[in-house]
Amino acid sequence: MLKAIISREFLNNILNLRFMMGLILCVIITVVCIIILAHDYQQEMADYNLRVNMQDEFLSNYAHRERLFWMINPQKPPERFRPLIIGIPGKENLESFDDNPLPILFSPLDFLFIVTIIMSLLAILFSYDAITGERQSGTLRLVVSNSIPRTKILFGKLVGGTAGLLIPFILSLLVGALYISVNPAIQWDGSAWAEFLLLTLASSTFITLFYLLGLMVSTFSRYSAASILNCLFLWILLILVIPNMCPYISAQLYRIPSIKETERLDDEISRAYIELFRQREKEVVKKFAGDYGKLFSEFESMEFGGVLDEVEPKHRKAAQQRAAADPEFKAMMNAFRNELKQTLIPIWRIKAEQTNKLWEDLNTKAASQTKLAKNLACISPFVNFVYVARDLTGTGLRSLDYFENTKEEYGKQFWPYVEKKIQDAEKKDPTFTWDSFLDISDRPRFVFKEEALKDKLNEVLPYWGILVLFNVVFFAAAFAGFMRYDVR
Amino acid sequence: MLRLIVRKEMLGNLYNYKFSIIIILSTILILASIFVMYRDYCLTMENYEILQQESEAIAIIRPTPLAIFAKGLDENLCRSYERGSSGKIGVSRKQQSVNNLFKLFTAPDLLYIIKVILSLCAMLFAFDIVSGEKETGTLRQSLSNRLKRPILIIGKWIGGFISFILPFFVVVLLGTILVTLSPMVDINAQNWAKLGLFLLSSVIYLAIFFSLGLLISCLTHRSSTSLIISLFLWATLVFLIPNLGNILARQLVQIPTVQQLELKREQSWIKQLFEIGRLDGSQRRELVKRNTIENDKLTEDYRNRFNRLVTVSQNITRFSPAAAFTFLATDIMGTGMAEERRLKRAVLQYLKDRDDKMLDYQRSSVKEVLGQGGLSNCLILILFNTLFFASSYVVFLRYDVR
Repeated sequence: MLKAIISREFLNNILNLRFMMGLILCVIITVVCIIILAHDYQQEMADYNLRVNMQDEFLSNYAHRERLFWMINPQKPPERFRPLIIGIPGKENLESFDDNPLPILFSPLDFLFIVTIIMSLLAILFSYDAITGERQSGTLRLVVSNSIPRTKILFGKLVGGTAGLLIPFILSLLVGALYISVNPAIQWDGSAWAEFLLLTLASSTFITLFYLLGLMVSTFSRYSAASILNCLFLWILLILVIPNMCPYISAQLYRIPSIKETERLDDEISRAYIELFRQREKEVVKKFAGDYGKLFSEFESMEFGGVLDEVEPKHRKAAQQRAAADPEFKAMMNAFRNELKQTLIPIWRIKAEQTNKLWEDLNTKAASQTKLAKNLACISPFVNFVYVARDLTGTGLRSLDYFENTKEEYGKQFWPYVEKKIQDAEKKDPTFTWDSFLDISDRPRFVFKEEALKDKLNEVLPYWGILVLFNVVFFAAAFAGFMRYDVR
Repeated sequence: MLRLIVRKEMLGNLYNYKFSIIIILSTILILASIFVMYRDYCLTMENYEILQQESEAIAIIRPTPLAIFAKGLDENLCRSYERGSSGKIGVSRKQQSVNNLFKLFTAPDLLYIIKVILSLCAMLFAFDIVSGEKETGTLRQSLSNRLKRPILIIGKWIGGFISFILPFFVVVLLGTILVTLSPMVDINAQNWAKLGLFLLSSVIYLAIFFSLGLLISCLTHRSSTSLIISLFLWATLVFLIPNLGNILARQLVQIPTVQQLELKREQSWIKQLFEIGRLDGSQRRELVKRNTIENDKLTEDYRNRFNRLVTVSQNITRFSPAAAFTFLATDIMGTGMAEERRLKRAVLQYLKDRDDKMLDYQRSSVKEVLGQGGLSNCLILILFNTLFFASSYVVFLRYDVR
């Protein structure tokens, strides 16, 4: 009997206008969207490769210690799920005078939009009259008058309805997947396809949730007209209102220090320490002038060969020639440089600790504010689904943090390498300074590796769990409502 | 007779469940939105006061209280602009940039409520005006009298729209009065005029969706069919076309990423510093001059492409009344694309002029807004309105009421 109810419900749905409209809209939008975004992905990949090559070429010609920090900034490749979901822009896109503000006014169209807006709306349209419609047409009374338990009717409606709803969705995704698999510019490995499968499952959980919401409202309504209004009311709250309100409410509940104020404090600390450096430099110069006398005066006349500050090329050259000719001069230069290092490095460290503490304080408070907003927004299934879909495909907030961590890990490898290179260069050339060319052609290269699926799953499972919980709650409510439903 | 129909339509709506639920929803949302955005404005003002202490800034724009109603790009506009290295313009980080969740969701301002939620409500008000009456049989009865069809359809439109728009006006007015009572909000005569224009454009925009709902109702014979078509068209016009236009424009205009542009600038600057230490006086000047020319060319090329991208994107998205309304509303409130472009132009000109005083920038006046494309957006909205209403009028004249 259950099979008969399911097949009746399924047939009813697919012969309906809403199924045809849903199918056409879903397939056309998904396929068009994937084709456009795949082309976008190709362009971004080409841009990324160009940036990496530009960096390599630049480093092979102009690498020098003083500005290496700015030169080595690792580039982020476009997310591999870019043909489906548009990632969150990084700070480099938002802190430029030439940034593109259009996405602020209109969020771009992607798979997330299709699932969260189109499919959820379609799910509600499929189920708002599942009970009320049958009651109004009188068929519900006829069905219940037979020996069919209400549980079976409800379950049959759920299975038959969701099957009719998920068919256009899965079909359009299959077409999209086919396009991705035959596109030579998109190279997805096994883990990417596994993520794609999980994304489809998570989307189905989300779509079923809205079908159940409609079913639940239908079991508590007498007329379809009232049912659809109540459904749309809830849909607006859950999809359009709560998610957008939460970041603003959290920003008002939990205040964080001003970024500009923090930057200003940072500048103040830096200025104070620069003064201290100058003072210590003078002390070292004075000490060496006492120890080495005439030899040091000669070195001073060459403006210290660029060891202290940037100097004209003639002074640097003179110091180099003098060091090559006189071992005593060379030893003095090395001693001077070492003394400077020993004096200044501890001060740098204290300064760095102070400024780091300042930024850490801001970042910790910002993280708390984000967490509060995230938790507040969890009452909307839309937000839970966005977290699951984005974090699963590496296009979410977590991916930004993950990239920063990967960069940090790379830094741990790269900077000791640079230190060693500098030490070697200084041994060879005593006039080697902050702006001398440094050969780092054999440096470790930055390679971005996608986060392991296991780690991603650990992160998304709680949110996925909330989605399942919503499903259970809505089904239980629909069940309770239908058990007491007056079919007359 | 027209008066009678308008009255009947209004009374019919007043006793309807649909009316109650839509009014409750819009009242809660509008008041909540105004309150949340007012608090956000207070935070922006606090941040502005901190930014003002910045001595190196060349331009810091005061947040507009109108951002409470249409935030648009105000967060972008109110950054401080500074003279960066090698002619580059530095911008301060947005206060919201530390909370990444802001990047995922839209500002829940009045513009958003009107554009997305109230447009849906307008369609829900209108989708069964004709098909619903046909189902209940009252349409047949009405037309069996001497009542003319044009009078009936016009009366239905006026009665339905007034009963929808009046509560909206009352709630917005209430919210605005509450906000203006706060000492933090200083709305001058110019801003009142802008707010008035914004509300007028909102009415025109909502009338489009009301007329569209009426058209669908006249094209269908069952209100359930009418509802499904209404919802799909609403999703297409409000979300699909504007969002698709955004990504479609990128296919038509080739533009490098901002990262590439910034990397090129950064490298040019580092290269200059690296080489300058190895050159003497006159050669240094020559190098700086050469680099400046190269950088200017690079930036100009990017900005030309970017302006083309924005124009193409705006032209595509204007096929949707929601996009035309967004452009119009944000431009009127001084938080839109036109204002952003104008400010950037002013900053660039200021740098060219090498003035020592801080840039004194005033947002566009109403007259300027209308000249900068506001009028064309307004005309698009009126055109949509005329088109949908005229179509529903024509279709209703031939409607089979049996």
